Amino acid sequence: MGQTITEKILSRIEGRPVAAGQIVHPVPELITCHDWYVVNFDRALEEFGVKKLFDPNRVLISTDHEPVAVTPQSSERQKKAREIVAKYGIKHFYDVGRGGLGHIFPVEMGFIKPGMFVEAYDTHVTNYGAVGALGIALVVEISEVLALGSVWLRVPETVRVNFRGKLQPGTSMRDIAQKLVADLGDEMIDYCVVEYGGEGLAGIDIAGRHTLCNIPLEVGAKSALVEPDEATRAYLAPRVKGAIELIKSDPDARFKAVIDYDLGSIGPQVAMPPTPDNVHPIEKALGTPIQHAFIGSCASGNFADLAAAAKILKGRTIHPQVRLYVTPATQEVAQEAAQAGLLEIFLTAGASITQAGCGPCAGGRIGAMAEGETSINTGTRNDVRRLGASGDIYLASSMTVAASAVNGAITDPRKFMKEITS
Amino acid sequence: MNWLYRGKCWRFGDNLGIDGDIMPLRFALARETDPNVLREHLMSEIDPEFTKKVKPGDLIVGGRRFGQGNPHIQGFLGIRGHGLGLLAESIPRGSFRNAINAGVPFLAPCPNVTQLCDTGDDLEVDFSTGEMRNLTRGKTHQFDPIEPELRAIIAKGGWKDHVKQRLAEAAAR
Repeated sequence: MGQTITEKILSRIEGRPVAAGQIVHPVPELITCHDWYVVNFDRALEEFGVKKLFDPNRVLISTDHEPVAVTPQSSERQKKAREIVAKYGIKHFYDVGRGGLGHIFPVEMGFIKPGMFVEAYDTHVTNYGAVGALGIALVVEISEVLALGSVWLRVPETVRVNFRGKLQPGTSMRDIAQKLVADLGDEMIDYCVVEYGGEGLAGIDIAGRHTLCNIPLEVGAKSALVEPDEATRAYLAPRVKGAIELIKSDPDARFKAVIDYDLGSIGPQVAMPPTPDNVHPIEKALGTPIQHAFIGSCASGNFADLAAAAKILKGRTIHPQVRLYVTPATQEVAQEAAQAGLLEIFLTAGASITQAGCGPCAGGRIGAMAEGETSINTGTRNDVRRLGASGDIYLASSMTVAASAVNGAITDPRKFMKEITS
Repeated sequence: MNWLYRGKCWRFGDNLGIDGDIMPLRFALARETDPNVLREHLMSEIDPEFTKKVKPGDLIVGGRRFGQGNPHIQGFLGIRGHGLGLLAESIPRGSFRNAINAGVPFLAPCPNVTQLCDTGDDLEVDFSTGEMRNLTRGKTHQFDPIEPELRAIIAKGGWKDHVKQRLAEAAAR
């Protein structure tokens, strides 16, 4: 019996063949955690009497959920986190201004390779699947891994998605990812890895691959990954040391389901309140007034997401009743955006640019909504109070958010695409 | 640990939310983790009298996606506080881990279990074998038991005691 990519990765780590359904204790090659949880894992380790980590050299901490401390309390928390990093001798620490969003910059910096196994505190570690790595989120059990090097894991089944075709104009991988996971449904993908491949994959850039690996989590998937290909190799070659192996599922691997998906089959989509899988064609939400808009997050905060929005915002201004926040996911994205002139376009349009990281999506600590407002944004979730106060949250592509910010109401980005192309 | 539970069935429907239905959200936000505190509020938003009616050894029977939502552990700690067992048609992944980490004996997935019993039925469930006997209806049903490695965590009393044991074993090596 052949193996899926996930089974191959976990077999390599375990040193024996393992199959979906088995309980294993794999030791991750990298462990990641974020600013807000550092004091919590330290408290847990102290309660357990743990003085030394299993391996501080494979731990990476990033200051991204609240990079710019906005209260005296958060400055104290950041100071404490720095002390904890020093206390345990944690090797990879990316403080504010150094890395950015910890689900993305480790990919940019070459920490992540195809076939790698990573465990993390935060659920969106699955982004590492963009280059064919398996990222598993643990939440509080991260303390067990930090102390002992492993925690139990049931080898997940895989749902395979084969792409074909090309995106329609005005549509991005955000639209595809939202619609796809809503179509698959929570029963289908619960506890599964969603694996992407097919002839259409070659045309999907790294930003789109991050998005594809991010969205399924919110509907219950255990993880997601892209079958690495020549585009993966080309992206990683200048970034990683050593060989890049393009790991693939065997032809006779056992999948829970195999789905064919035509990238050209849909137009812009919105996830309507209150859940990320409440996905509808944009026509259903057109004209809904908005006051708050945001482009960024681990789902859609890469350079390509910003560039697509900038095409719409160039030469236009944001509606007077709307505030638009733009958060480049990482320092590298911010630098690229500066070099390409995107920041000038955003600033001229009247947007606010925030420090690289999670932006408002991390609980609305930065640029929150006010009570009763409506937001359209590219964040990860739209449950009530995700962005601070209660109000309706619509999730969409960066193009749809930009078009809506200009009009002050939810707007089909193709309206502007026509003007751009004509 | 005794894996054999005999008690009254308390049947619930599909999609019980971990926050709200099973435990009021405020306890998750307050990071309350004392089973003796949480037991007093179990299912209180569905049935304010529930905690007065259940007895240790009773069995909660849930439908599909029992414990759906943002995976907070408090609801399962409340179940443990009453000494209840749990059978559900399905439990989403985050809550599945929390049930283990809270030290709750449970069986999931149990296909169609909500069709096989009703509130008030006298049930006997062996969580080590997966056998459920509905003594009221005189029927026996077989489900897959939780794997022995995971039952060991439940037997230990949950995650914290399990980690302490692993640390002690590592120190002894």
